[in-house]
Amino acid sequence: MMKRSSKLWALLLALAMVLSLAACGGNGSSDGKDAPPADSGTPADTGASSEGSDQEAADSDLAYVQGKGTLIVGMTDFAPMDYKDSGSDEWIGFDADMAKAFAESLGVKVEFLELADWDAKSMELDTKAIDVVWNGMTLTDDVKALMSTSEPYCLNGQVVVVPAAKADQYQTVESLSGLAFAVENGSAGAEQLDALGISYTAMQNQAAAVMEVASGASEAAVIDLLMAGAMIGEGTSYPDLTYTVQLNDEEYGVGFRKGSDLTNAFNAFWKEAYAAGTVMEVATTYGVQESVIEQ
Amino acid sequence: MLIPVTLSLLEGMGTTLKLFFLTLLFALPLGLVISFGSMSRFAPLRWLIQTVVWIIRGSPLMIQILIIFYGPGLLFGLPLLPRFTAALVAFVVNYACYFSEIYRGGIQSVPRGQYEAGQVLGMTKPQIFFKVTLLQVIKRIVPPMGNEFITLVKDTSLVRVISVYELIWMGESYIKKGLIWPLFYTAVFYLILSGILTILLNQMEKKLDYFQ
Repeated sequence: MMKRSSKLWALLLALAMVLSLAACGGNGSSDGKDAPPADSGTPADTGASSEGSDQEAADSDLAYVQGKGTLIVGMTDFAPMDYKDSGSDEWIGFDADMAKAFAESLGVKVEFLELADWDAKSMELDTKAIDVVWNGMTLTDDVKALMSTSEPYCLNGQVVVVPAAKADQYQTVESLSGLAFAVENGSAGAEQLDALGISYTAMQNQAAAVMEVASGASEAAVIDLLMAGAMIGEGTSYPDLTYTVQLNDEEYGVGFRKGSDLTNAFNAFWKEAYAAGTVMEVATTYGVQESVIEQ
Repeated sequence: MLIPVTLSLLEGMGTTLKLFFLTLLFALPLGLVISFGSMSRFAPLRWLIQTVVWIIRGSPLMIQILIIFYGPGLLFGLPLLPRFTAALVAFVVNYACYFSEIYRGGIQSVPRGQYEAGQVLGMTKPQIFFKVTLLQVIKRIVPPMGNEFITLVKDTSLVRVISVYELIWMGESYIKKGLIWPLFYTAVFYLILSGILTILLNQMEKKLDYFQ
């Protein structure tokens, strides 16, 4: 009885909060005409059909995206898949360039949205804040459960990053125990360490994990092979680091909302682009041609 | 390197400043309305307002930002507010609640005798509030308000959780390029802004010093 009434209270309070926020929300946006005019069109447009839109979108995500004319790609700064050249405002990279081509094939504009928190990706998808997660995403069981994923397009693995001077001591999985690890929170690398029973400090992203090793705050990091190839070693910002053990083999895929028909559209687009040679051409530009999966 | 970094941080600073000023613009009047509600003689309204203030002040602003941005989509499948608007709504509501308590403290600190004197002179309630109470309230709330303003400057960094690209975000993005100092450098921008605010608030206090 006690429990039930406290739950009821919680519900009431939550409701009161939501209502008050909603009330203030209306207030804020009507006063807040300073909000960027570009965006204010979107909620109004979709607002009209908001009641039914949930169902319809589940029926055809493709029609939804083509209707609004933009494909919003959720990603993070992750060379060589998605990054900006210094001084430039344009996202480039293997994933970014292919996303542009995919959007073009759908007849829509592409918009890149840099996510604050990689963990929020499925929430961003479900709430339609973004339309696709396309950012060197490893196809883990978690990811497959949360979204509709494409056929794998790229090979990857998790590798251990250590200072080059100590690299010869850490060539086997056994040698890793006892090292102070830094790894991106919730990443495929974290999963590997969990499986090995090695504890670690969770970081916001892979770059921060590498920074930990470079600064000496941690002894080793686990990051994606593709990223390590582009970010670490001679000729990069981290000439004193190197990578040794590869912990696993994995594949990259692209994620859409559950039940979305964009997944099939993507798979078809990718096969065609691969056959036409576009995929390998772009991959070669960014030095990932060895990892691309043959279609 | 310093100049391009400064320029890109200034871009983030623009978003920070926009959020700061718009929050003040809407939260200052809204706070006054809420403070009247929390002093209302109509008990249910008073309780409702006090509960809302308790929830808003008692839960982390970061959670409120996440709820306002993702909540409509997650709970009801509604389209989302634009990111900046959602952040602004969260800040306005949150700061209005804090301001309301400061207003309430200021209003209730004016001796009741003055109100009664006004009544004896035949003044109406609004007349008493605007001509007698208000200026004294303003004078008394300047120091605690200043505190909140300066907290607000730094709280703006929370909006990065919903990918609003403010100052700290811009500083942090350099970590991926192997530079950590731009992140620490952002502190200088916050210091300058809160320094300017401190000077302005001190001047305001001095101006209000002509009466006791």
